[in-house]
Amino acid sequence: MGVWSRLVRTFRAGHHDADIEEELQFHLDMDVVDGRSRREARLRLGNVARIHEETREAGILEWLDSVLRDIRFGWRQLRRTPGLSSAVVLSLAIGIGANAAIFTLVDAALLRPLPVTDPDSLRLVVWTSTGFPPGADNINGQYEPIAGDRYQGAAVPAYVYRRLAREQSAHGDLIGFGAETDAIAIAAEGRPAEQVRMQYVSANFFQALGAPPVYGRPFSDDDDRVGGEPVVVVSHRYWMNQLGGRSDALDRAVRVNSVPVRVVGVAPPRFYGLRAGEWPDVFAPLATKVAFQPNRSPDAPRGEDDRNWWVRQIVRLSPEESEAAATIDLAARFRAVAVPEGMNVEPGAIPELAVLPGRHGLDGLNRDEADALWILMRLVGVVLLVVCVNVANLLLSRGVGRQRESAVRLALGAARSRLLRQHLLESALLALLGGIGGLLVGSMFARGIHQLFETGRDASNAFDLRLDPRVLVYTAGLSILTAVLFGLVPALRASRADLNDVLKAQAKAVKSGLPRLPRVLVSIQIALCLGALVAAGLLGRSLERLRATDIGFDRHNLAYASVSPSRAGYSADRIEEYVDRVKSELARLPGVVRVSPVQTRLLSGGGNHASLNVPGRPYQPGVGAHLNSVGEEFLETVGIPLMAGRMVRPGDVHPDSEAVVVDELFVKQFFPNGSPLGRRFGIGPKESRRFEIVGVAGNSRYNSLRNAPVPNFYVPYHPGGTVHFAIRTAVDATAMAESVRRTIAAVDPTVPLTEFHTQSGLIDRQLRTERLLSFVSAAFGLVALTLAAVGLAGLLAYLVARRTNEIGVRMALGAASGDVIRMVLHDSMSMVIAGLLLGIPCAYAMGRSLRATLFQLEPMDPLTAALSFGVLLSVALAAAWVPARRAATINPIAALREE
Amino acid sequence: MPKAELQGALELLVLKSLRRGPNHGFAIASYIQQASDDVLRVEAGSLYPALHRMTEAGLISAGWQVTDAGRRARVYAITAKGRRKLDADGKRWQAVAMAVARILRAT
Repeated sequence: MGVWSRLVRTFRAGHHDADIEEELQFHLDMDVVDGRSRREARLRLGNVARIHEETREAGILEWLDSVLRDIRFGWRQLRRTPGLSSAVVLSLAIGIGANAAIFTLVDAALLRPLPVTDPDSLRLVVWTSTGFPPGADNINGQYEPIAGDRYQGAAVPAYVYRRLAREQSAHGDLIGFGAETDAIAIAAEGRPAEQVRMQYVSANFFQALGAPPVYGRPFSDDDDRVGGEPVVVVSHRYWMNQLGGRSDALDRAVRVNSVPVRVVGVAPPRFYGLRAGEWPDVFAPLATKVAFQPNRSPDAPRGEDDRNWWVRQIVRLSPEESEAAATIDLAARFRAVAVPEGMNVEPGAIPELAVLPGRHGLDGLNRDEADALWILMRLVGVVLLVVCVNVANLLLSRGVGRQRESAVRLALGAARSRLLRQHLLESALLALLGGIGGLLVGSMFARGIHQLFETGRDASNAFDLRLDPRVLVYTAGLSILTAVLFGLVPALRASRADLNDVLKAQAKAVKSGLPRLPRVLVSIQIALCLGALVAAGLLGRSLERLRATDIGFDRHNLAYASVSPSRAGYSADRIEEYVDRVKSELARLPGVVRVSPVQTRLLSGGGNHASLNVPGRPYQPGVGAHLNSVGEEFLETVGIPLMAGRMVRPGDVHPDSEAVVVDELFVKQFFPNGSPLGRRFGIGPKESRRFEIVGVAGNSRYNSLRNAPVPNFYVPYHPGGTVHFAIRTAVDATAMAESVRRTIAAVDPTVPLTEFHTQSGLIDRQLRTERLLSFVSAAFGLVALTLAAVGLAGLLAYLVARRTNEIGVRMALGAASGDVIRMVLHDSMSMVIAGLLLGIPCAYAMGRSLRATLFQLEPMDPLTAALSFGVLLSVALAAAWVPARRAATINPIAALREE
Repeated sequence: MPKAELQGALELLVLKSLRRGPNHGFAIASYIQQASDDVLRVEAGSLYPALHRMTEAGLISAGWQVTDAGRRARVYAITAKGRRKLDADGKRWQAVAMAVARILRAT
């Protein structure tokens, strides 16, 4: 027996083997009762087994046939009401699509495990300490205060990692990788250099993660040696796009930061590394950092320096060892090597090792972004609820419309179960179509939202978005649930229908109005809609407030071009000359007003904060100002006014004294009495006289629109790693990108333009989470509003149609059309008001859940609430107006004749 | 006669026998045999598949009942749909049968 018939049999009572058996036995016995011998009866009956089989099949075949007939019939029924059916399918497609899209994103960013073998056995290795660990000059990646007065960091020096990994190899694998990816310039043979992200990894990286290169080989211990031939593994994406996806691309000469390297392998297609949302294109052994990033100055930390903590670790637990035992073991060995030999350190100051779950790798999103995704998940859930209510209402009114048909079919002998099945099949059909539509809408949505989410991020930041089985299951589950839930109520009603009642109801009709359920559903829909609108309003107004923040300079017609001459091998003294040449070349471009180099682009999200040491004030770590190193014309270029004194000049730098310009907030906070000009201060606990104030500038925002303003001070420009040029233009700054790129390439083709951003673009990038939330919540609010309006209008139209007779009588008895309109509007307003009242707690809860995201806005912002109320009320009125008008134009004679 | 036609005839006979009242398979077979003066004998191998098919098609309904002798028997009853089918198809069948008989009588 096939699986199918087995399955069918399970569901089909009456065709059970036992039943048939008993029936045939009864036949046999009756023959005996009739006077035949048992043997004769058996002969007359024939081959029992065959009869049995054929009987069962006849039943099942007929059942299958009837299901097919029902489906065909259902399809015809749906096509008879194309408007209603497409409204259901469309709402489902939008609701399911939006959910699938957000879920796809949440899945890719937060839920999906790493693209490696057995991610559950991975643990992130971190450490905690009472402060900066002794012996460390620089800690890459995470280093932040946690509970108590302890800090948590993750990076360790390369030598510490190597020793631990060697000792660990008996237990399992310890994998090392750069705590941050690095921007590099890469040039394949015969192509211009371009900027991509590079991840430094340990020699065992690909093998231990279980993601071996699809072409070529992984790294070996020999590759991870300072001074050896530099080799790299490239991402599958880079190999396909830039190396033509050819197998002879391996071993082709490629330059990384002007150093010739050999490509030895290609990573698996979907392997993005250890952090969702970051997709490095090049992987290189840890030791090659020395070759790729030569020292800019003698005292800067180098790749293999003991004082540079930059290697993160991830450990794979072996199945034989318990997690606790393995951790204790690793922690003990870490304690032994964490502090350089010969350094005297109190035992309490040594960092303590700890492990965290590694299934998802490093956090792909910061807290705000993750919060934003969950907010979207909630909002989209509300949209789905609105959709479900809408669909339920549409199906209900459809069921009511077909009550007569159902009653007649019942009276003519159709089984109730058949009728129920018919209705469920029809809603399942709708759900199926809606689900398919939802998948299409969802994949489009997901791409759009992903793009919004990524705006302004690096090109190598991408999530591995795909509709994987989990998304499919989620979507299918949603649509089936909706169909069953909301197909069931009308189906049960229809199957209970009594012909007498239905026909009588048709005759007496009038006063009863509508059954209560649809009215309640419309109210719920309006309540949910109010919640969605308030959320959209709050997020939109919050974004407006952030945008309207006074930044202290002119954000329009301002752009930044960025280059990294040190990556092309420029030494410190040659960089200055290069910067001067680029500056004067850029200034000569038509449309450019002024150009100035700057170390930190304003409002780009990064920057330096210095703890200030002001004579006469107690030194407090963390209390200080933002520091920017700027060219002489910087303030004029960006449009920050100089209030007093003069601007800093390159000649202002002396061995132990430097001229600086401070802003007014700086003066107010640190030099409130007397003129600040000529006063001195320092950075850090030791010195307090290095900087002399020569000028005072207007206040401006340095790297955050959201946080309270922080004082700024400006020091004369000295080129660091990446050089940014602030460019003030007379025309739209976006249009300058191409000519700026050409100009920079003309100065030195080995130094590519790595980034070009307008100031507005940078601000938008800072606000990308807020923009995403505001845009998507507005879209969802609109969808909810449309659905609520359609739901209300549809219900009223149905109501008016049912009351045609009554309205005809009223009008024949002298009711004016105004009275009729008032009657219908009154009826609808009771539903709307109930919905609005119901919506207030809903909106409040929504606002509360957004509290942390809002900028200078209360969850119950009165203006937002009033606006949402007003919009919803007027849309509801407009939606009610159409059927009300129709009611008023009913011709009493025609209406009564219909009777 | 093609098989479908024969099947149709059997269904008609079953419906006709159930018009007199609900009954079990054996009684249906006996009735057809008696009413046709032993001309038509319904094999169990055709009858039970037909009964189950007709139940699914909604022409008849089925349920378990206890007989006078105290035994459980599967009893079939005609539905409204079955009645309509009997009326419509019965007339058509009679017309066809009469036409065939006329032709056979003609020499």
